[in-house]
Amino acid sequence: MSDIPYKDKGSILRPFKSLQFFARPAVTQPLEPRPASDNYRGFHVNDWKKCIGCSTCQKVCDNAAITMVRVPGLPEDPVKGIRNERPAIDYGRCCWCGLCVDICPTGSISLTTEYVHTCREDELDSYFVLPDPNGIHGEHFPKGWDKTADADLVDLERQPMGELPGEERIDSFDEIVEGYTEQQAIVEASRCVQCGMCHDACPTHMHAPEYIRAIWEGDVEEAVRQMYRTNPFSHVCGRVCTHRCESACSIGRRGEPVAIRWLKRYAMDAVPDLRIREIAAEGKVDYISGRRIAIVGAGPAGLTAAYDLIRKGHKVTVFEALDKPGGMTRYGIPEYRLPYDRLDADVAVITSLGVQIQYNTRVGRDVTMDELRRDHDAVLIAIGLQLGRSTRIPGSDHPQVRRAVDLLRMITRGESFEVPERAVVIGGGNVAMDIARSLARLQKQQFGKVQITVCALEDFEHFLADPEEVTEAREEGIEILDSRGPKEVVIEDGRLTGLKTLGVISIFDEQGRFAPRYDQQDEQFHPGDMVIESIGQMSDVSLLGEELTERLEWNRGRLKVDEDGHSSEPWLWAAGDMVFGPDVVHAVADGHRVAASMERYLAELDSEKQDDGRTS
Amino acid sequence: MRPENYQARSQPPSNEFELNFGPNHPGIEGNYAFRVKLNGDQVLEARADAGYLHRGFEKLMEGRLWIQNIALVPRICVPDPVPMEVCYSLAIEEIGGLEVPERAKWIRVMQLEMSRLAAHLFAFGGHAATTGMYTTMFWGVADRDLILDRFEELTGGRVYSIYNIPGGVRRDVPEGFLDRLSSLLDYLESRLPDYDNLFFTNQVFVKRARGVGAMTQEQALKWGVTGPNLRATGLEFDVRRDDPYLVYDQLDFEIPTESGGDALARNLVRRAELKQSIRILRQVIERLPSIEGPIRCPIPNPLAWNVPAGEAYTRVESSKGELAYYVVSTGGDKPYRVHVRGPSSMHAVQVLEKLALGARLEDIAQIMFSLDACPPEVDR
Amino acid sequence: MEEHPEGHSEAYARIRSKKTLGEILEVATTFEQKAFEFYTALIPKVSKNLRYLVEELAEEEKEHYELFRKLADNPEIENQIQQRIQVPVEDHHFSDYVQLPDLGEHPDDQAILQYAMGREDAAMKQYRELADSTEPGPIHDLFEYLAYEETMHKRELEKLYYQTVYSGGPGNN
Repeated sequence: MSDIPYKDKGSILRPFKSLQFFARPAVTQPLEPRPASDNYRGFHVNDWKKCIGCSTCQKVCDNAAITMVRVPGLPEDPVKGIRNERPAIDYGRCCWCGLCVDICPTGSISLTTEYVHTCREDELDSYFVLPDPNGIHGEHFPKGWDKTADADLVDLERQPMGELPGEERIDSFDEIVEGYTEQQAIVEASRCVQCGMCHDACPTHMHAPEYIRAIWEGDVEEAVRQMYRTNPFSHVCGRVCTHRCESACSIGRRGEPVAIRWLKRYAMDAVPDLRIREIAAEGKVDYISGRRIAIVGAGPAGLTAAYDLIRKGHKVTVFEALDKPGGMTRYGIPEYRLPYDRLDADVAVITSLGVQIQYNTRVGRDVTMDELRRDHDAVLIAIGLQLGRSTRIPGSDHPQVRRAVDLLRMITRGESFEVPERAVVIGGGNVAMDIARSLARLQKQQFGKVQITVCALEDFEHFLADPEEVTEAREEGIEILDSRGPKEVVIEDGRLTGLKTLGVISIFDEQGRFAPRYDQQDEQFHPGDMVIESIGQMSDVSLLGEELTERLEWNRGRLKVDEDGHSSEPWLWAAGDMVFGPDVVHAVADGHRVAASMERYLAELDSEKQDDGRTS
Repeated sequence: MRPENYQARSQPPSNEFELNFGPNHPGIEGNYAFRVKLNGDQVLEARADAGYLHRGFEKLMEGRLWIQNIALVPRICVPDPVPMEVCYSLAIEEIGGLEVPERAKWIRVMQLEMSRLAAHLFAFGGHAATTGMYTTMFWGVADRDLILDRFEELTGGRVYSIYNIPGGVRRDVPEGFLDRLSSLLDYLESRLPDYDNLFFTNQVFVKRARGVGAMTQEQALKWGVTGPNLRATGLEFDVRRDDPYLVYDQLDFEIPTESGGDALARNLVRRAELKQSIRILRQVIERLPSIEGPIRCPIPNPLAWNVPAGEAYTRVESSKGELAYYVVSTGGDKPYRVHVRGPSSMHAVQVLEKLALGARLEDIAQIMFSLDACPPEVDR
Repeated sequence: MEEHPEGHSEAYARIRSKKTLGEILEVATTFEQKAFEFYTALIPKVSKNLRYLVEELAEEEKEHYELFRKLADNPEIENQIQQRIQVPVEDHHFSDYVQLPDLGEHPDDQAILQYAMGREDAAMKQYRELADSTEPGPIHDLFEYLAYEETMHKRELEKLYYQTVYSGGPGNN
């Protein structure tokens, strides 16, 4: 029941009650524009320095009010994940919901407290605005609805990847990384905003947004299909790729990038090998072209080109000097990073399409380049950088001074050698970490403890090896010293006792070029039974033969090739580490470019053949 | 024409005529067509013709991601947008099993009651306007404006707050907001005697509104009437009390009723509810600072968010009646079906038709406003 | 194959014995010419992929040779040519930690660069010694200048050495 006396008829004096309003102050409003509240949702501003043009705001806008506009003059760097596009807002569609602000991965876009805009009929275009840091009228209104931590709609944390702990993994060459479960993979894949920066940054432009989406949808076969569009080495890359994609990921701007590499690993492991072969064979032509291609080197560059060419109906023969395929991915990368059976699975997909690999066949010894030229229409050499460099310091010709690549090859082949009880590794790149961690495992198996010292020229700020490798190596008991330059291998009575190093004062000169300066007074001695040099690698081009070497053009020690790997001889291409490098995914990209270049060359040959009826 | 071919046609009696009440009419809360057949100024037949405000929300929502719909739902009921947002969020939280943190629940209750205050001020202000008492209307709208200032401070938007998302709310309560809200409530309470003098106890209005648009409790229940309209017939039913949601079971408030069932009773119920809302808000202001915690539970990246398959029917007490959402998900990232049960759907269509019969022309608008029938909610 | 003259005790004795600026410059020019001839003779012996190195080294020695020749023709120097110099005998030492290789029939790029660096290093040390043991004056300046040139030359070679040898392998191209 209400308590309002509405039944009361009132009195005749009641209207005089309204005279009290004369006593009350009048209600006034100021004439100045009314400032909006502190978190008002007004017009947009966009910090162009923070904005990377990822277009996530465009995706979340429910009224399709945002269009990405290319602004020339802004930085554009696919490797870092920056585009020269900026969002433009159509205020006829915008409803000022602020979802764009909440989802922006970099936090660059905000809504200000400005809310007044008028235009005449001939100025209707002024509703379409490209927000910049100055605001819609350049009046620098304070920010209203801004990004806050508790309202952030992107997930900044990555799903953790399980790893064997240091003491446990040193006991074997088992793979360190455990891999994602299905639940983890779906959650990690859901973090992706599909901006495509990863695709632009990848050297071989893998369709990462597509396969991440497929993983999120639970369709791992579709994910594998998307991967095989550009990369037949997805088992390998899912474990050891240098993940340029993750460096460009827009979520990685403020948080941890999406774990694209681990998602690739998950999807490839989730589909049975035989099914992967079927998926890879989709799109293969069903005719034989009659062309024959020879590829020297069964590494990622050579085999990727083989994969592309066999799918176009050409006959491809690969000549591999060692007894198993893979090149440095097998004989350089240790098993705990890349298990051999996963590499074999990738290669098996390629051979299942019809590529022939002849093992234990060294070009230059078992078959010559001239024979290859005679029997094939095009030849690709992708022999990698199989020879290790030496520092050639005094004492480095002692038999217990070894090259890292040689030892890694022996370990992979299971060849036994005398495992040193104490070892010193010269070098600070990933190969040095690989040999140090492999030797650590062998030392643990044989002697029960690890005694390895790594001496690198670079200081830790400019270290060449991946930070994860350094951390994991330390967890495995390896001592890593920075800024030490090799001086002399100490040999006493014909036995190697250790390495003398000098301190490095500076690594780069005034122009930033690599030129170390040594401190002659800072000498240290590192005891060891073996010194392993891991300073650099070169390729063994003696297979070409003297005559061909003279005919070809060279560029500072490397075969001169154009951007498609085509050498100065029309029938000869080169790809991979030996000409471009520097890692597996670039080798895959090279393989594709070379295959496309070969295709064009062969098409020209075919058209010449048609033109004048003679064989070329 | 030849006489044998002449067909007589029935003509309406000369004192009857058809009138289009709407769709554009100041006596309607929105755009709504109401065709009446009048005998002089008495209504003989009435037919409601909804659809002028059909914007296709329910279909639009099927084509947008779950989170994108939070920008659409407040627009379904213009004067009282907050219950729309809250009900939508509650439905998704039920299907998806999301745990809303305590603090978010209290903030939601605060918003809902603030919105109820604003809507009631608007409603009886509008009713006053239909009877020609424009001062009350201006007062109502002006005082509502002060509440909208508080909304602006809390949510960033005056009318469409777009502030509730599934899982909680989007921003925390600003510094000093509760103090300002408290002083606003003091001001509103001090205004109530003025309103009473000018409107609720004013015999000009009381005599005008008494007996107009009367319905009995049986009729109300048969016609699907809810909210203050139902309480004006004497039935003490309120979703907040009888099917509590959020933290209403921890709050202390009364459910006012009247027994007349006519326009006057409905307005008096609303006037009493103003006081109850102020009472609830004071309790929230007291409790809220001591409730710590996050303001939302974590939800996945909205571009890749699948709500598990299922359906939910959630209801809240909006200022107009029982508002309900029926949301169906088939496990995708967009809703399969969203149906909004706007309380005004019953009030504006069948109830108004029935109540208008026999009423005078000048009372039709009064009846509509007293029912607080909101055409945007009817048409969606 | 000829051994490099700089730094070798015979060569040192030869240059030390010269008493005038002109004579010293003549010996220095001869050193450069010999180096140029050495590298030029090596060009056809290395395989084509490494030939660029030897060609560049020959080119640099030629430039050095031209430089010293121009210096000798400089009228200012000519005035000092007749001055006699007394240079005390001093011990000199090699403290080099890159082994000087025997270049052999088919040297690789590392061996060539090591040899070239060693040569520049010896020349640098030789001129350094001579500069330190000369009183301030134009001759001292000349030796300083020669030492500076050889040092710069050696630094460039060191950079090239590190670029060539410490390369290849993951992330290192």
